[in-house]
Amino acid sequence: MSEAFFEVEGLNTWFFTRMGIFKSVRDVSFDLRRGEVLGIVGESGSGKSVTGMSIMGQVEEPGRTVSGSIRLDGEELTSLSFEDMRRCRGRRIAMVFQNPLMTLNPLMRIRDQMYEAISEHESVSEDEMHQRCLDALRAVGIPSPEERLTAYPHELSGGMRQRVVIATALLLNPDLIIADEPTTALDVTIQAQIIHQMRRQIDERGLGMIWITHDLATLSELADRILVMYAGAMMETGTTAEIIGSPRHPYTSKLLESVPSRNVPGEKLRQIRGTMPSLLSLGAGCPFMGRCEHATDACARGVPERMFSQTHRVWCHHPLEV
Amino acid sequence: MAETLFEARDLSRIFEPARGALQQLSDRITGKQPAVVRAVDKVTLSVVEGETLGIVGESGCGKSTLARMITGILPVSGGERRYRGEDYVSFLARKRDALKVQMVFQDPMSSLNPRLKVGEIIGEAAALHRVVPRARVRDHVVEMLERVGLPADTITRYPHQFSGGQRQRIGIARALAVKPELLVCDEAVAALDVSVQAQIINLLMDIRQDSGLSMIFISHDLGLIRHLCDRVAVMYLGRVVELARTEELFANPVHPYTQMLLAGMPRISVERRAFMPIVGEIPSPLHPPSGCHFHPRCSSASGHCSRIRPELSEWTPGHMQACINAG
Amino acid sequence: MNRAALTEFAGRFGESRIGVASLAVTLTFLICALLAPLISPTDPYDLSRLQLIDALKPMGSHQVVPGEEFRASFAVEDGVAVAQGDAHGLAAQSCGDACLEVRLDAETPLASLQVRTLPAGASVEGASKHPVQNWWTVNTPAGNSVRIVSDAPLPETFNFSVIARSDDQPTDLVFHLGTDGFGRDMLSAILYGIRISVFVGVVAAGSAMVIGTGLGLFAAWRGGATDALIMRAVDFMLSFPAILVGLAILAVLGSGVGKVILAVVLVQWCYYARTSRSLALSELNKEYVEAARGLRLPAWRIMARHVLPNCMPQIIVLFTLNIAAAISLESSLSFLGVGLPLTQPSLGMLIANGYEYIFSQKYWISFGPGIVLLVMIVAMNLLGDRLRDVTNPRFER
Repeated sequence: MSEAFFEVEGLNTWFFTRMGIFKSVRDVSFDLRRGEVLGIVGESGSGKSVTGMSIMGQVEEPGRTVSGSIRLDGEELTSLSFEDMRRCRGRRIAMVFQNPLMTLNPLMRIRDQMYEAISEHESVSEDEMHQRCLDALRAVGIPSPEERLTAYPHELSGGMRQRVVIATALLLNPDLIIADEPTTALDVTIQAQIIHQMRRQIDERGLGMIWITHDLATLSELADRILVMYAGAMMETGTTAEIIGSPRHPYTSKLLESVPSRNVPGEKLRQIRGTMPSLLSLGAGCPFMGRCEHATDACARGVPERMFSQTHRVWCHHPLEV
Repeated sequence: MAETLFEARDLSRIFEPARGALQQLSDRITGKQPAVVRAVDKVTLSVVEGETLGIVGESGCGKSTLARMITGILPVSGGERRYRGEDYVSFLARKRDALKVQMVFQDPMSSLNPRLKVGEIIGEAAALHRVVPRARVRDHVVEMLERVGLPADTITRYPHQFSGGQRQRIGIARALAVKPELLVCDEAVAALDVSVQAQIINLLMDIRQDSGLSMIFISHDLGLIRHLCDRVAVMYLGRVVELARTEELFANPVHPYTQMLLAGMPRISVERRAFMPIVGEIPSPLHPPSGCHFHPRCSSASGHCSRIRPELSEWTPGHMQACINAG
Repeated sequence: MNRAALTEFAGRFGESRIGVASLAVTLTFLICALLAPLISPTDPYDLSRLQLIDALKPMGSHQVVPGEEFRASFAVEDGVAVAQGDAHGLAAQSCGDACLEVRLDAETPLASLQVRTLPAGASVEGASKHPVQNWWTVNTPAGNSVRIVSDAPLPETFNFSVIARSDDQPTDLVFHLGTDGFGRDMLSAILYGIRISVFVGVVAAGSAMVIGTGLGLFAAWRGGATDALIMRAVDFMLSFPAILVGLAILAVLGSGVGKVILAVVLVQWCYYARTSRSLALSELNKEYVEAARGLRLPAWRIMARHVLPNCMPQIIVLFTLNIAAAISLESSLSFLGVGLPLTQPSLGMLIANGYEYIFSQKYWISFGPGIVLLVMIVAMNLLGDRLRDVTNPRFER
């Protein structure tokens, strides 16, 4: 396997509010190789979206990336100036959000928005821009792209809009795409199409992708590696086969078990009891402790990192036997 | 055999686009028919006592509109609804009886009035309609809260103080407080996290078991439907295309759309499956394709499909489907 | 609203200094309006207390008690002056040959003493004679007395009359903001003016809120023709400038507090109707309303208990802004002379009263009420803006 081109190390992003400090992301580290999809999975409040925003340098007040290193091809992103970071976004790192209307300007034609994305970073002729837009739209499986180019966002269906956003992200041939729940709002059939086309683009172009979602099913079909997050901390990471096939962390295992298709129809689902702890009152121990069947006193004091293979790491005192 | 609790025959709901008075007048003079959305188009289905009927479909298929017609929140544009054989016109007029059909909503944020305390949210209708004597309303509310797994002190708190899963529990308690017989759950867990989703599903199953409640469970998630329902209706653009017992439907889907849905159903598995590309987008409900709505996306469509409106017909006993090329 | 939400609300409101300042100013004016009868130095409505002598006094001058006038007629016979009728404390006695002293036995120093109709040849010491009449006037006579003297001996018998005037006496009452053309204390007039303006503003905007919100909710609930009818009426009303509607109504009905309130309500109800209708429509689409319908709650109950409370925050913001608008409309109408009666001057009327003096350097009559009106309306608008910001869901971080 090739070298990692993108690395995140010891990332901490906290929100300083009137009520106290929300430690939304705590000591998160991972890396990414070209042509690889890293899935970050977690429930709401797990810090997965904030991790994506932190990489983009777009954490909003009162949040701040307190510490950590984010390196793209060895270049440190956290020390970039605002202007350099802006240039880096879009050109080298692109982001796709859950709601395509957050990205698309409702008053501009698709063509003008895509042209703008190119001309912001490169100066090329209109013909070339046109050609590149068509290629990008075709790449994400949009039928009759010529017509779509002159359309306004509201004239397209939800799935089509999200594809336009992805095509725009691909326009500048970025090294890394961060996708935050890009298919969650879409129908199952559309979701499957987009995932299929995404996978092909990643393989063809050799770009890296971070796919943030709460949905283990889509990840199992798309991702090469998975990082499981809970209450701002890493729980387990490994290849998709390792996470789905032999989860070691009680949380991952429970999460997988609670999916209906892994239960006997008509019988009660195996559920995780309790709720996620408040991000305000986290100690040094494992955040999953309160809901875990295996928790012991040791869990309240720090969390050890256990390695089960070159890729499979678990942060737990009591990893499961397989 | 158990009694049929709810029955819908040829149920339709047409939404007309908003037109100004002038527009209406000119349309009437020119005899132009305004473009209408047939959100629900001649749907026939029934629920027997103690049964859970699943309704599955993608966005825009009319499943939420159908839910609101079943619960009497929306009027119908055509067709009839019956509750224990009685027509809805007289059934809904008797307010206390009309409470027998209740609904659990999708959005835990907007489905609870943010300005009322939880106790008022749950107890209001029970007190107003004298489901329980006035003096007992508080106890009744506490009982409902216990039933959905919330502490009694929840009564004096406001919805915003709760998480999504807890709010959904409050929504369920509100429906249960008026002692319904049929509970319509419209995407009741779609907005929740996986672990919370499992808790709510288990709660619904508990309640169903304890009180013999009948349910209509509406979802886009085939996994949930399979887990929870006895029978399933598959909807596409306002019409039911297939209706069968759950095991039968998942084992032998007949309609091409059902087959496509099942193939596209995301599964958690280690081996990557060979991808079956699905053609096309869901058409706009404003301009649905002629004949069978699914024909532009269907691989086995023939010339007839764009002309003939397919009717739901019996395929095998208890298994209805609406594809003219089936078999 | 519960306590936690209220604390949160107050905390967010407090983040802006302008917001807090505008709230403080607005509250001050409200207190002024409530306590005007208690804190104002005089009662500007009591016409009997007004004295012309106080009119148009600049800021900081004292109220005065006007001087008294003492009149008496004397008949002189054989050198002895005898008062005819009541002498009012005046007395005349001989002071030698051809000399007659007239004095007033009182402690108040006299401003002037005038002696009228002296016989030919006689004059008054140190007096100035009226250019035509036989009147002799001494200003501030020493010892409150004057002497009638003559070169020739005075006639045996003659009559004369005396008019003595005492000085104006300044009182402790200071006109801090000067007085107007009627001698009204401007400070008191402004305090009462605030009271009237705020009363008209609150009552008018409040009535408009009740009527407009009611109609708006009704339109939202019924939809169809009812909705169309009400909303076209709103459009119709909104197409006229507010001041024009006010002028037209008052021109027909005549002036008066009640009529001004009626005019403001007619102008303002449509803002509430439009806002509440659109708010209610968006609330009606929410699932909690569907839930209430599913629970077969009566329509009025759904509107009053579920929809209305959720529309209230924005309506209250509109109310705050509309009080300011109502006050400014009332002031404009009063300024134009069709608003409130002269006996109950509002701020606009006070400004109008001072307007005629503004070019004769008597600026204070218009300036006081003008600045007060300006500050009050700006503060209320800022407060309304701030409330709107805080209640706006998008404001949340």
